[in-house]
Amino acid sequence: MKHRGFVRVRRAARLALALSALALLTSACASIGPKPWEKDLMARKEMSVNPYPLVAAADDHIYFSKEASSGGRGFAGGGCGCN
Amino acid sequence: MQLKTSKPAGHIRDTLATLSLGLIAANAAISPAAAQQSTDNTDATPGEVTLTLPYFEVGSAYLSYAESGGRVRATEPSVDFSYHASNGGVLTLGFQEDSVSGATPNGAAPADVAQSFVTPVQVKTSAATSSGGTGTTTVTTGFGDDTNVSGNGGEGGEGGGGGTTTGGTTTGGTTTGGTTTGSTTTVTVTTASGGSTIISVPSGSGTGGTTAVLGRQYTVPANTLPMDRGFQDQRFAGNIGWSQPLGPLSLAGVTLSYSKEHDYSSISGSASVAKDFNDHNTTLSFAVNYSSATSTPFGGVPTPLTVMNPQWKTVASRKKSDMDLVLGLTEVLTRRWILQANLSYGHSSGYQNDPYRIISQVDGVTGEPVDYLYESRPGSRTRESFYIDNKIDFDWVIPEVALRYYHDNWGISSETADISARFKLYRSLYVLPNVRFYQQSAANFFHYYLVNGQSLPAYASSDIRLGKFTAVTLGAQIGFNVTDNSEIYARAQIYQQTGDAHPAGMIGQLQNQNMFSGIKASWMMVGYTWSFN
Repeated sequence: MKHRGFVRVRRAARLALALSALALLTSACASIGPKPWEKDLMARKEMSVNPYPLVAAADDHIYFSKEASSGGRGFAGGGCGCN
Repeated sequence: MQLKTSKPAGHIRDTLATLSLGLIAANAAISPAAAQQSTDNTDATPGEVTLTLPYFEVGSAYLSYAESGGRVRATEPSVDFSYHASNGGVLTLGFQEDSVSGATPNGAAPADVAQSFVTPVQVKTSAATSSGGTGTTTVTTGFGDDTNVSGNGGEGGEGGGGGTTTGGTTTGGTTTGGTTTGSTTTVTVTTASGGSTIISVPSGSGTGGTTAVLGRQYTVPANTLPMDRGFQDQRFAGNIGWSQPLGPLSLAGVTLSYSKEHDYSSISGSASVAKDFNDHNTTLSFAVNYSSATSTPFGGVPTPLTVMNPQWKTVASRKKSDMDLVLGLTEVLTRRWILQANLSYGHSSGYQNDPYRIISQVDGVTGEPVDYLYESRPGSRTRESFYIDNKIDFDWVIPEVALRYYHDNWGISSETADISARFKLYRSLYVLPNVRFYQQSAANFFHYYLVNGQSLPAYASSDIRLGKFTAVTLGAQIGFNVTDNSEIYARAQIYQQTGDAHPAGMIGQLQNQNMFSGIKASWMMVGYTWSFN
């Protein structure tokens, strides 16, 4: 009985530890990144993740048809019988 | 629309940043280009700017691609159009056209003797008969750049037979050469630059040996990589998509795509969802894509690992389906630093052979070619990749590093590093040099050739794209704003694959051959983007 109680306590402690770690992570995550009024640079085209989609599509298409790998940036290349 | 806030400290920086936001907001009303941004900036939250004016974006580009050694050449005009509605919805339309031609390796190993290959002619006819008719047939073949070639093969690699019987005015109704004598008989030949001829070949399975089939024959000189020049194709592709904020989701979207070549077609649909957190600094996304493709090769679908022949095969087409999943994270780490990471999984099942590609069967001692068999690939492929991209704005330069690790169950692993830096030169003028490093291991069924007399493996391909090699790309893009809302750019890339020309264990004469058939290519692209209300 005593032993059971000990296990329970240990479980509770573990849970508390996990929860506090999660809370810590969440709060750390929430503090990452600029505030809304600091988004000036990110609003620019050159800082978007894919500023030239036609260029990226052409490059991906070429590499897809010349190499064994595909995908990564987006969906695996496709739509052509080139591989 | 930038503020040079190089080193403002404390509240001055904050003030400037706030000011700049206000200016962006003001500019957004008159300059939709400024409103183009990643999804984590488009949603409104209290205190943020809401971009409500609808606007259009148009992107167009022209690509010209060429491989050295007279191999594949391609051009591709493409157009993208999007309409950004005031409710956050985005309609996208895209269209592209590819024209591809040139020589492509057929998969056979080089040899110290000339090698001849016979493939089906493009037009499916039983042209030669034994009627002994008095008519004459003029069969014109045209290859290379000739316009009377209608070809096949996938873009960028695997073409195969493409001779057409244009001008094939069969007067008298039957072809000469039909009286099969048991040996290959040339009908009437007009050769073009590709050096292919149309020949009549006794049908192995014909009744009584009285029928024959036409075949397109091409010969490759000794000590030369066997390539088929009868390769030309055209591809049209289009897509349409819609995305918008939906309930608790920051973005939900669907896209439909269709692509058509002479011998291949594909239709695919995708759906994606994204959710922003943390002041829109964190975006989690999930996307799924399903595609179905049909391969309808010229000459029909050959049976894997059977001997190459000019007969039209009884199976006309085969299907392949693909399912892809992408789990993505976009994180704005600081005012200047954005990170994107994707975890991808994909599965393909169905026909994945290159229907035109063969593999040499060589003598076990001399290495001389004995036969050519159609290649064979597994019908199932599972792939995983991890991709991470970092981009940092240092005002005068924006470096970007993208890394990818890829693995599939064909035994191929690859690593890719794509590094670029956008230098601001003068006003909107920029230059963006880039370098890319790539390396891959070989598929577990990659063979340079098979040995005659040995039992055949279940799968075998000599396609160097499934072999081990490294590749380097060097290039640059330059561009500037023509107006506040439009940009013109030009881009040039050179690309070279490097591999082992003399791998260990080659048999006989193959020790003296260059066994690496990788490419050296370059491409140019010019493009224009324009946004307007």
